[in-house]
Amino acid sequence: MRIDPRTKLVLIACLTTLAVIYDTPGQLLLLLGVTALLLLMFGVGPGVAWGYLRAYLPLFLTLFIIQAIFWTGPGGRGQALLAVGRVAVITGGGLEAGAGVVLRLCVVIVVAILLTTASSRDFILGLVQWGVPYEIAFMVSIAIRFLPVFREELIDTVTAIQLRGIDLKKVPWGQKMGLYRSLLFPAAYGALLKARQLSESMEARGFRSYPQRTYLRRLRLNVADWVLMLSFLAATLVLVWLQIRFD
Amino acid sequence: MAFLELSQVSFSYPRRQRPAVAEIDLTLDRGGITAVMGPNGSGKTTLTRLMMGILRPDAGSIRLKNRSLREYSLAEIGRCIGYVFQNPDQQLFCNTVAEEIGFGLLHLGWEREAISERVEFYLNYFELAAYRYVFPLHLSRGEKQRLAIAAVLAGEPGFLILDEPTAGLDAYRKGLLIDYLKKIAGLGRGVVFVSHDAGFVKRATDRVICLESGQICGDTGQVGDPGYAD
Repeated sequence: MRIDPRTKLVLIACLTTLAVIYDTPGQLLLLLGVTALLLLMFGVGPGVAWGYLRAYLPLFLTLFIIQAIFWTGPGGRGQALLAVGRVAVITGGGLEAGAGVVLRLCVVIVVAILLTTASSRDFILGLVQWGVPYEIAFMVSIAIRFLPVFREELIDTVTAIQLRGIDLKKVPWGQKMGLYRSLLFPAAYGALLKARQLSESMEARGFRSYPQRTYLRRLRLNVADWVLMLSFLAATLVLVWLQIRFD
Repeated sequence: MAFLELSQVSFSYPRRQRPAVAEIDLTLDRGGITAVMGPNGSGKTTLTRLMMGILRPDAGSIRLKNRSLREYSLAEIGRCIGYVFQNPDQQLFCNTVAEEIGFGLLHLGWEREAISERVEFYLNYFELAAYRYVFPLHLSRGEKQRLAIAAVLAGEPGFLILDEPTAGLDAYRKGLLIDYLKKIAGLGRGVVFVSHDAGFVKRATDRVICLESGQICGDTGQVGDPGYAD
């Protein structure tokens, strides 16, 4: 289905707003289902979505355990499911909160896959046609493009450390934290150096040479775009109002 | 018994129709210098990353010292095989050049004095002494390349895999690298490198493997001592 990138941005904004507003696992599961259906509509199968989610499984598990053990709601921690003496370790409320956090993250990650269904050029063009200055739109698209690159570089660094013979799994936690802390500065500074090289390269190729830019192509919103955009905006406003009213 | 043995190894990257490497059979022993050559996209880097356990083969098996590579952690592989990445930026992560060379030794529990001695030797050999306190990513391409090689060699691994080690090096420093590689190969440590530099390959190697479209299309044959000691 051919949908304007601006429509996709509106859908992303609506779905992430609902992901933040909703807090029960049932609501978030439903939202995840709607998002998965949307992705299917744009030709992204469940296998691709699972590929993205799989990388975050350790994070999900950690967050789930932390929430399950430490969560305390306004009315207490709920029914104890596992207790050590008189101390409730895992409670019904904790499990629900853990599931909620994991599902919220899943929705945000799966929604972000929508960004991969159009080229960054189209997103820039869409934002510019909405009146966003070209420089800002370009910066946003570069940031989106560089986040996975930055992540891959961090993975490469961790691989390179291990290939120097250091078994990170066997390094004590205190030492491991120190090791990661010492890597933080080179990683951040490396990113800044790359940003500078990128800006020099852009300027060398004439970026901002003229105050006005012209475009060969113009994006047009069709009926399906308007229907999707307006129905999602309306539904989101109603659902947010219902959530605030009855929560 | 080969040091590193690949049997029918195939690997494809996600969402690519053609496999990056297909049905590779290869044995590598300690001693001798082997070059892997081939055009861009022929699977050279993928092959080295498979040998290092960074990538897992889709089919076939890789054995290191007669044990499946899957049984090793990356750190254990790193202690057997030193690996120089194609892009040195990927493996430079310390605050200074000297720290970078001593990093592995420090975390493997070496004594400070022994580390200093080793670091000093490699700083001098690769002519990096003037940059010992410089942030590694501020170096030029050739200096980064020399640092990446020095940092890996400092651990004295029994086998070395270098991906495009001559990129960014001038003729004089290529000569130094050849001398060093020959020296360590002479000590019974195997060396495999990927290169496009025909002159360097001719001067440095005992064996040349050619890759094309992910398959071996030429191999001048096994060299070196097939036995190895731990």
